[in-house]
Amino acid sequence: MEARRIAVVAGLVAGATLAAWAAFAVASEASKQTLQIEGSTTVGPIAEAFAEAFMKANPNVQITVKMTGSGDGAAALIDGRCQIATMSRFMKPAEYQKAVEKNVTPCPHAVAMDGVCAVVHPSNPLKAITRVQLRDIYAGKITNWKDLGGPDMPIVVISRDTSSGTYEVFAEKVMGKDKMSEKVEYVNSNPQAHARIKTTAGAIGYVGLGFLDASVKALTVDGVAPSRKTIATGVYPISRPLFFFTNGYPELGSTLHSLCTFFLTEKGQEIIEAKGFVPLTNY
Amino acid sequence: MAQAAGTVEARPRGAAAAFDRPLLLTPRENLAGYLGSHLGRAALFLVTATSVVAVLLIFVFIIREAVAFFVNPAALPPLDWTSTGSAFAWARAALSFIVARLAELLAGTQWYPEAASPEFGALAILVGSLYVTGGALLIAVPVGLLGAVCLSDILPFGARQAVKPVVEILAAIPSVAYGFFAVLVLAPWMQEHLHLSTGTNALNAAIILAVMAIPTIVSVSEDSLTAAGRELREASYACGATRAETMVQVVIPAAHSGIIAAVILGMMRAIGETMVVWMASGNAAQIPSPWWDLTQSVRTMTATIAGEMGETVQGSDHYRALFAIGLLLLAFTFVLNLITEHFLHRVRRAGGTSP
Amino acid sequence: MIRRRPSTDPLRPGRLLRLRGAVDRIFTGLASGSILLIALALVVVLAPMLWRGATAVLFRGTVEFRLMQMQKFGRGNRADLAVELVQVAEVRQPVYGMLDRFSRGIATDDLEEEARRLYREFGKQLDRRDTPAQERTELRSLAKHLRDDFTEAVESTDKAAAREALGRVLRHADDPRLKGTVAEGFFRTAQDYGHIVDTVDLSRRAEYAKALGEVRDAIRALFGPRPGEPRPPLVMDQYGATRWDMAERQLARLLTAEKWVEVQPGQPLQRIEVPREQQFAGTDLVPLFPFVRERAVEMLDPRLTFYWQYFIDDSLSGHYFGGVGPEILGTLLITVLAILFALPLGVVSAAYLVECAGDGRVVRLIRTCINTLAGVPSIVFGLFGLAFFVIFLLPKFGFPQGASILAGALTLGLLVLPIIIRASEEAIRSVPPTYKEAALALGASRLRCFVTVTLPAALPGILTGVILSVSRAAGETAPILFTAAVAIGSTAWPPWSAVTKPTCTLAYSSYHIAVGDRLAALVPHNQYGMVMTLILLVLILNIAAILVRSRVAKRLRGQ
Repeated sequence: MEARRIAVVAGLVAGATLAAWAAFAVASEASKQTLQIEGSTTVGPIAEAFAEAFMKANPNVQITVKMTGSGDGAAALIDGRCQIATMSRFMKPAEYQKAVEKNVTPCPHAVAMDGVCAVVHPSNPLKAITRVQLRDIYAGKITNWKDLGGPDMPIVVISRDTSSGTYEVFAEKVMGKDKMSEKVEYVNSNPQAHARIKTTAGAIGYVGLGFLDASVKALTVDGVAPSRKTIATGVYPISRPLFFFTNGYPELGSTLHSLCTFFLTEKGQEIIEAKGFVPLTNY
Repeated sequence: MAQAAGTVEARPRGAAAAFDRPLLLTPRENLAGYLGSHLGRAALFLVTATSVVAVLLIFVFIIREAVAFFVNPAALPPLDWTSTGSAFAWARAALSFIVARLAELLAGTQWYPEAASPEFGALAILVGSLYVTGGALLIAVPVGLLGAVCLSDILPFGARQAVKPVVEILAAIPSVAYGFFAVLVLAPWMQEHLHLSTGTNALNAAIILAVMAIPTIVSVSEDSLTAAGRELREASYACGATRAETMVQVVIPAAHSGIIAAVILGMMRAIGETMVVWMASGNAAQIPSPWWDLTQSVRTMTATIAGEMGETVQGSDHYRALFAIGLLLLAFTFVLNLITEHFLHRVRRAGGTSP
Repeated sequence: MIRRRPSTDPLRPGRLLRLRGAVDRIFTGLASGSILLIALALVVVLAPMLWRGATAVLFRGTVEFRLMQMQKFGRGNRADLAVELVQVAEVRQPVYGMLDRFSRGIATDDLEEEARRLYREFGKQLDRRDTPAQERTELRSLAKHLRDDFTEAVESTDKAAAREALGRVLRHADDPRLKGTVAEGFFRTAQDYGHIVDTVDLSRRAEYAKALGEVRDAIRALFGPRPGEPRPPLVMDQYGATRWDMAERQLARLLTAEKWVEVQPGQPLQRIEVPREQQFAGTDLVPLFPFVRERAVEMLDPRLTFYWQYFIDDSLSGHYFGGVGPEILGTLLITVLAILFALPLGVVSAAYLVECAGDGRVVRLIRTCINTLAGVPSIVFGLFGLAFFVIFLLPKFGFPQGASILAGALTLGLLVLPIIIRASEEAIRSVPPTYKEAALALGASRLRCFVTVTLPAALPGILTGVILSVSRAAGETAPILFTAAVAIGSTAWPPWSAVTKPTCTLAYSSYHIAVGDRLAALVPHNQYGMVMTLILLVLILNIAAILVRSRVAKRLRGQ
């Protein structure tokens, strides 16, 4: 009985000390600096590789990365939930307006170049497509591959969801004013689009350049094949820069500034190239 | 009472304790005790009331944002309280706006919230939820009910003890694991072996949701079937009925409230499920074209909220529209909950144990 | 003639009765079939994930794996590893040699770059030797001709033209002015290239180049970067195939080429496999493939590895290497915190409902609210968590607005509150009333009776409720989508500095690695490993709860 009572009291005292310590530590927890990066699933792998290289060089900085879509990144930056928004498209005027309302001034840093590639399953005999045909497929006017000279299979149309920058670029440069048909299947990320097309014989979709590999086939759009050369020179019709957005230009010399200028270093450009994107400079 | 106790004359001789104090004290005599006990009860009540507060808060916060979707102060004419004409015009404009928004949300089929001229027609999404839930129930109710019958009446005790953990574990598997299975194992299988053009569709989601709803249906139905009592069954057997006839014509009708509650609980589980449908249903905001074709992609309310919430900015129309859908979901499950409670209340009254 | 009388034997069942019996048997069969179907569903759902997930922990690891463990995690015996590396490098050397010899003829860019470099170096050498101006101009012009002729030879796809251009280069091989200078490099490379011109079909050079690229990629994926090459920037490129199953995939890519050919016009293409020997027939590269095929095991030295540190390691390069340590830590933190919020509230509410509450309208309202809370969909909890905790409440206490473990834990706490209330209520109610009556009879006040008698007796039941709610909280993804979860980022330590930051959790990372992570498709063992960890965690907790409950039932029945 006595031992138990002593144990209870000791436990309470320990708990109280712990609670006090916790409160103190929470109040003064500036020892480790955290940076939150949110946004595109296209630029996400670059941000993640940067974060890893950066954290190895600076152990007292902690960086967390979330990849759910360019729109998510913009919203998070405007709401103040992240410090860097990775986006595979430029911010829309409506987003700028909302940002200004909340006293946020988004500042873009273009870190790499990318192309939105139209991909199909490797068993699809089609090799080339025009932008008009792409638009018609996504608007629902062409529904069978035989209308394009392919086999008699229904076209399974895959698109990224609306929070994606890849979707926005595709919509702007290919769809124009047309809306996508309701039958279009929406996936949440580049890897999921890639996985769907890899396993579905009749599928067509679009992914960033960094996601091309031997298990999907990239079509030439308007006669131009997506490659580093054609994208870097803008010849490929659906090319775009990839951005890091911050709230204003980061203070010179701060950790945020180092992270935002990491892409200018040789290592940064090497990482971008290793991930399959087009580096900005000829380092 | 103190006086009455105090007048008890009999004092046991040789008793160790001298009971010279009355056994029950009045509040005046033991203010601390009185206050302590009543304040203590009040404190306990307040703590218990946090669940009420929580539910109220949930409703308040969701309604607040959802209502903002239907009400748009900017679009209304200026209000001048003094003149009835202007007041009427204002009320009429407000009402028509609310009705228009509601009609668009519930009856429109175009869901393009981020377009230059946004459209918020959520009918396809509601229908998608319906398809997926309906399909799940179509599979889960017969299997679950028959399973409950087996558990309560057919299996011997040892086998029952072995099967119950299986059902419990099925209930405990996280929904993201089911979603993982649905998108990485079931979808390719369906595409290959059923020769479908897409493996992530309403059928896929319905099958997995059925597997998730079955444990709920089995356990609640089994409880209510057991609660029907041995006497009922024995009476039926005594009249010469076979087991099938007893179950179908006597026991199940007797336990019908519990079974309806079980089905509704299963339905609530299926409607409220997010991860599985987000990963495996294809997310195409369409009403399938021959209406019975479940092998097409659909989108549900939960997947819409989960998928699009991240890209909205607080206070934007899209943000509020998602909260409006959340409110629909909440209202629907709340009503289903009330109905379930009603049926379970009847089971409890009939003498069964509550699940 | 035998008259057939209708069967009147009372002991032989009539047709109707037989029909009823058949229906009964069908019914029983269907019911048993349902149970079998349910059990089958459990096996079908769990087995693939657990089986494939187990390969994340138990697999055949190669020397690259041990190298990675040593360099990144500091594990293993350095001396043994050094010996192993030397052995393996020895076996791999011929491969690189064969590759180099062949690629000199194919990689024209390299050869042209080499020629330009030789020209530049020769110019610098002339400057250093202080040659007189006229001679310098002459020699430089000669070197320029050599360079241009060589480049022409390299770029031409016609054997005759190439040989002719090489001949022009080699005519100057005996020039005394160029002896001992850098320019001799021209002649060496011209001779090498001449050999290649003789053996390689130059017109197929473009096709060879593509196939050679694939072979090179496969070899890099198998063995990692070549000794002497600069370190690649990405960690995933710094090591070769760390597992034997990955190695086998790369070996297949190395030894056979995949081609999609048209079988019929207007039909989908068919996939055929062409052995590389056939693809490179007649060239110097052919012996590479049987060599690698036979000695692959020696080159990689696979051994059975039990990588239990998978559960505590950080993940490298976005789940390409490493383990799920941060996710497990994050899940534990968030669920423990959620229980810390929900447990006191739940037990006290249950105590009130059992001990003090009557059956009035208010109490019925409370019970309805608890049931409502139990029925709210998890995504609505997520919405509420975002709207209330992240946006409204936490900023009022000075926390920065954003996802954090605290917000996620509060949301999850609300989610599991009804479970704890129900389980505690059941546990408290099932304590035999004799306990309570005995305590009251001894003069204990109601509070003391509850705290010292009822609560300890109900503790196993409450514990079951806690275990079940931990398992539920660990598995929920929707509530933490907006409130706490990120994809990459290790959980801060100590825990109290981590609560205001977001974290990775098993549930969210399982979702992310299944559909959102680009590399995950390359490492399916990590995908399945993550979900297997989650399922194992939940299973262990549930089995513990079942055991506790059966022990309690046994104890109560043994009264």
